[in-house]
Amino acid sequence: MIILQYLFYILIFPGALFTIAAGLLLAGIDRKVIAHMQKRIGPPVAQPVYDFFKLLGKETIIPATANRAAYLIAPVVSFVSLCIVMLFIPILGFRAIGGAADMIVILYLITIPGAALIVGGAASGSPFAGIGISREMVTMMAYELPLVIILLTVAKKVGGDMLIFDLGIVSAYQAQAGSLITEWSMIPAAVAMLLVIPAEIGTQPFDVAEAENEICEGPLVEYSGSPLALFKLSINMKMIIMTGLFTALFFGGIRTGFVITDLIVFVLISTAVMLVCITTTHAITARLKIEHLFKFYWTVVAGLALVSAVLVWIGL
Amino acid sequence: MIKKMINKSASKSPWLFHINTGSCNGCDIEIVACLTPRYDAERFGFKLAGSPRHADILVVSGPITVQSRDRLIRTIEQTPDPKCVVSVGSCPKSGNVFKGSYGIDGPLDKYVHVDVSVAGCTPKPEAIMEGLYKAAQILEKKREAMSK
Repeated sequence: MIILQYLFYILIFPGALFTIAAGLLLAGIDRKVIAHMQKRIGPPVAQPVYDFFKLLGKETIIPATANRAAYLIAPVVSFVSLCIVMLFIPILGFRAIGGAADMIVILYLITIPGAALIVGGAASGSPFAGIGISREMVTMMAYELPLVIILLTVAKKVGGDMLIFDLGIVSAYQAQAGSLITEWSMIPAAVAMLLVIPAEIGTQPFDVAEAENEICEGPLVEYSGSPLALFKLSINMKMIIMTGLFTALFFGGIRTGFVITDLIVFVLISTAVMLVCITTTHAITARLKIEHLFKFYWTVVAGLALVSAVLVWIGL
Repeated sequence: MIKKMINKSASKSPWLFHINTGSCNGCDIEIVACLTPRYDAERFGFKLAGSPRHADILVVSGPITVQSRDRLIRTIEQTPDPKCVVSVGSCPKSGNVFKGSYGIDGPLDKYVHVDVSVAGCTPKPEAIMEGLYKAAQILEKKREAMSK
């Protein structure tokens, strides 16, 4: 019985199927809203679904210079790790799998898609992919530092005297003392987290690794057919996971009482977070250079996160 | 059911790859005009892809100069099936005013089957949009033939 329950968690809710559906929905809303911001009609909301199925039906070409095994396994690793991350994120009141340090597990699992992209790009043997993976590595280093500081700040705020890395306790704390976004000392950390999300997903001002009109989509340049479909799906799934993590960390205090309504409110808050940090920045900015991105993250964003950390450490 | 969905999706998300084979840039500007807010090709799912590996429709403009011929053939070969080739402007169709020049080795249908050919010097964005839309319908037929 317990095996069936865990299978349900992993395959349907909140694992693979829910993450895919919510990710594709968020990506569709994102493209539609960007189009309206640019005074266009824009593609239908189901466009990412069509893109995914079309890519499944395309021929898969494996370049002669590629390492066949690594080239084909990398997209699967990226997809599977993202299915697992969602199990650890509490959906307001509901939580599939709990643990003593699930924040650290999430931190590790979230880097795996980036690492898989690096492995896949390196295995394809294309010089464009070479430039792309070097940029992807720098981007990962840039956003990891602020993300770690933000999680430390939340852990200190919730734990009081000691650090608590358990998202269940974070959620329970917020249900009792109010969401963390209402604490003024946490607002710089929330802003920093909003700036980390677009770099993690790789959208407009921070898409240096996959610059399509400059280095032909970087690590993805040689991919076609179903491996490409899995990588594109991973990017869409990251949208719901990162905005969901934001919701769990800063809006975790909202409770409706039922799992279904909790889920609807969770997706609505995630959509609102996405509209602020992904869609708007995508519509109004141009791409940064990689050195500017690195500098921005290690000064402005890490600075904001540090301000919050210091405020929390002195007890505010 | 999944097979049906894949076949249906083939015409709904055609990604373009643009190849310039010595065009005067007139047709290229009109192709870009299709993607602007005024014509908005994205409402049919059209998107410019960065790599021929991601493309479904190859948009060729220009009269196939001797220098670009080998690159054109290689790019077409790199595109995964099902794919469509659309020629934009009179140059790839007939050679236009460059016909008979020593630097030209056209027309395009000498090298590859052209699915849709939009003539004009330069064609209007409306005409290019219609051509691309027809190519998307052909893409669905090709996908159905592939799945049998």
